[in-house]
Amino acid sequence: MFNKVLVANRGEIAVRILRACRELGMETVAVYSEADRQALHVRYADEAYLLGPAPSRESYLRGDKIIDIAKKAGVGAIHPGYGFLAERADFAQAVIDEGIAFIGPKPSSIAAMGDKGVARATVTAAGVSVVPGTEAEGSLSDDDLLKIAPEIGFPLLIKATAGGGGKGMREVSNLDEMPVLLLSARREAESAFGDGDVYLEKLVEGARHIEFQILADTHGNVIHLGERECSLQRRHQKLLEESPSPFVDEELRQQMGEVAVRAAQSVEYINAGTIEFLVDSDKKFYFLEMNTRLQVEHPITEAVTGVDIVKEQIRIARGRPLKHSQAEIQMKGWAIECRINAEDPYDNFMPSTGYISHMLLPTGPGVRVDTGVYPGFEISPYYDSLISKLIVYGETRAEVILRMRRALEEYKIVGVRTNIPFHQNIMDSLRFMAGQFDTQFVEKRFSMERADRGRESYPHIAAIMATLVAHQRTQRSAHVIQRNERDTSNWKWMGRWERIHR
Amino acid sequence: MKYITTLNEQEFNIEVLDEEYIVVDGVTYTVNFESVSGEPVFSLLLDGKSYDAYVYEGDEGWEVLLQGSLYPATVVDEREHRLRSAFGSGPVQSGEFYLKAPMPGLVVDIPVSDGHEVKEGDVLIILESMKMQNELKSPRDGVIARMRVNVGDNVERRQTLLSVV
Repeated sequence: MFNKVLVANRGEIAVRILRACRELGMETVAVYSEADRQALHVRYADEAYLLGPAPSRESYLRGDKIIDIAKKAGVGAIHPGYGFLAERADFAQAVIDEGIAFIGPKPSSIAAMGDKGVARATVTAAGVSVVPGTEAEGSLSDDDLLKIAPEIGFPLLIKATAGGGGKGMREVSNLDEMPVLLLSARREAESAFGDGDVYLEKLVEGARHIEFQILADTHGNVIHLGERECSLQRRHQKLLEESPSPFVDEELRQQMGEVAVRAAQSVEYINAGTIEFLVDSDKKFYFLEMNTRLQVEHPITEAVTGVDIVKEQIRIARGRPLKHSQAEIQMKGWAIECRINAEDPYDNFMPSTGYISHMLLPTGPGVRVDTGVYPGFEISPYYDSLISKLIVYGETRAEVILRMRRALEEYKIVGVRTNIPFHQNIMDSLRFMAGQFDTQFVEKRFSMERADRGRESYPHIAAIMATLVAHQRTQRSAHVIQRNERDTSNWKWMGRWERIHR
Repeated sequence: MKYITTLNEQEFNIEVLDEEYIVVDGVTYTVNFESVSGEPVFSLLLDGKSYDAYVYEGDEGWEVLLQGSLYPATVVDEREHRLRSAFGSGPVQSGEFYLKAPMPGLVVDIPVSDGHEVKEGDVLIILESMKMQNELKSPRDGVIARMRVNVGDNVERRQTLLSVV
């Protein structure tokens, strides 16, 4: 049984985990890179130790250093958060080998689900259907992939074998463009995961991305906490999630939940995990992959089930049984999460870096903000662009959409551009309100310009504000010249004037 | 001061009378305008109605982000407006396009080289930032000139990477 936890992560998720530890009365240890000395997780933890230079490879990915620090600080457990080392079986094993608890699944489960090929084979054996593809055939050369592609049929997806989070993923609509896309997918996968292996998968059109949260303890109990709707994505990066899904009824929820539990059991899963499914328009669902870690979007499930998932993770790692049985889990109300990224939606979602000079957080009923930044903090180009998560909950979906609109309008971040206007447009989109969207909605049927045109507009107010700012600017510069004149002595001024007019 | 402010080809004649009153297209309003939590967030009370917006200085004029919509605006004072209409305006088509880094990052690939002919939409440079690879594309047909970076370089925001002539 441990009472001291090291959080091997940064940003909002490190803060989230520290909060859970604090509530459980546990001592905490943070690790940080040179770029993160002033980050919130360093300030919130009881102890903090430097890992190395800013790039992840030299800091947050240095499992050896993290374990050294854990030993020196005398921690009993390591929580990996998401990303970085969270889904690295070798790291989990190394932690356990040192007699430290790993707050997550067994290394063997991570390995089984981490290799997409093994994962598909395992769940297929457990009677779960998967999307057709080459994932079970190991790593193939470009020539082989180009030969197989027409058999799978277009459109299809190139996916990174070691992948996750949409990195190294490319959509291919015909054979001609495939060689170039293969090259860029491999390059991105190589840089993100150190592994350029890719596989092909059929692209299910009009599909929704729906996932189930799983909790499993060491006593053989496995439950699910219902679904999360994650179809709103751009470049396969989730932007907004909600729970429950407007597409899922009680019958489908039960079916999918049972399959999710079975998939987790097939790898003897322990701790929190997520089973991702693709669901087509006929409500036929396919296993996509399992994320063997805490998800970014876990708070919406917490909001509708009342379960604190991170605290459950810690309880499970301490060998306790789950707090709730499946029958006790009831989804109540509705929750939506908007991922606030430092990206400019008016400039093709280009990442935006810089100092956050001011920030006003939304508050009030039904609002939760998980963030790792504060005014004065610098958003650096070294890590991903997620700066905070805005989670809103209420009784009904309609109430939550209106509440989210209100909260987004309150949220002010100054210093970097954010995708808040994108979320505001989604909240105003009729298709979103009607629940009619799939994974292609953002990229194929949504544009900021069109959305901006469709909304109630205030051009005269914008004109007045631009004019007043321009006016202030003119007044200020005029003022500076006047003061300079006054500061010069009249004798000097006369002398200059005479010389000019001679 | 009188200003002519243009938004999406719509012109507004706005006169700032003093700290409290402005005239917009002949209608007088009471106005109370302050920057909150420092620039660029502003609060406007217009005849008692309250509006919050970001006002940024863009490359060409101003950008107002108001209730989730972005309004690009140009503001010129009356004298400047008269001068412009007298001499004719319209930006001159410059011969050279400078590709600038939209964000700091690492140059991971340069598929083109000096003297290379490119078409509009061709990828010129791949820049990695925040773990994403971003393809910077050519805005028009032309020839690559003055390549200023190499693969593996770290670049700053707005740094010129190459030119297309």
